[in-house]
Amino acid sequence: MLVDFELIKRAQTGDSAAFNEIVLAYRKRILGTITRLIARPEDVEDVAQEVFLRLYFSLDQLRTAEVFEPWLHRLTVNAAYDYLRKQRRRQEFRMSDLSEQQVMLADAAAGGKVEHDEQRRKRVRESVQSLLGAVSEADRILLVLKEVEGLSLKELEKVYKVNENALKVRLFRARQRVLKAYESAVAREATGQSR
Amino acid sequence: MNSMRGNVDARLDALLRAYREACPTPEPSANFMPDLWQRIESRQSFTFSLQRMASAFVTAALALSLALGVYMSIPRSNPASYSQSYLEALADANTLDIPDYVSPVRLELSDTGR
Repeated sequence: MLVDFELIKRAQTGDSAAFNEIVLAYRKRILGTITRLIARPEDVEDVAQEVFLRLYFSLDQLRTAEVFEPWLHRLTVNAAYDYLRKQRRRQEFRMSDLSEQQVMLADAAAGGKVEHDEQRRKRVRESVQSLLGAVSEADRILLVLKEVEGLSLKELEKVYKVNENALKVRLFRARQRVLKAYESAVAREATGQSR
Repeated sequence: MNSMRGNVDARLDALLRAYREACPTPEPSANFMPDLWQRIESRQSFTFSLQRMASAFVTAALALSLALGVYMSIPRSNPASYSQSYLEALADANTLDIPDYVSPVRLELSDTGR
């Protein structure tokens, strides 16, 4: 834990300086997680602020120190979920949006072949975003937390408050859907190359 | 088939690893904290005005209930038709030209059948 419970208790009593310290301690971690969850750099700060806003107004409900981090994670997940749902309404990410070239370049990037660094990163981001569009927002977040953020099943259990088996099933299904989407993109890429 | 699937699996894992590297943690902007506090304050003022509206509504509802209670408890000079009791009203309505349905039945027995 990056802060001690005394600081949280002070923030609960309305101490703004204590709340500031909590935000400063967790800000970078939350920004990183949100970046990988939503992959839109221009909106990351906005979503992170929403997380801390929700933290501020629900801090008085916190009773024990151990639940603080899973709880903050849950607030992050919920804020990212709300954002992604709004985004989906605006723009549908579909597997068909993933061009053959994107798949090829993403594979090349993943394999370490390079062109320009920033270009490559951008393409990887776009490719993964398109692939993650094949699953629901909830599954997409779960998948990113597990596969990209590297959260353990035990940690996810605390965040989602469901048992490990249920999580495993959801993760397996989500991964299968993404794999299927990836396979079709790879197949299209292969067809495109053979022409 | 399985090896192909395994290959795709491994490629997807590699892509997800590359994704983590492709999304480095951004540095928070200088306005992060001021903007956050601004949002907190605007939410607080919204909540506060909502609370004020709710309490004003409750006060108005209480005042209205009280006024209605007072209004209902004031005795009024009622019109004549309402000053009669139920039995009086029934007697007035039961005038002579209306047959008395509840008068005893009279049986006239004759000896013709004997």
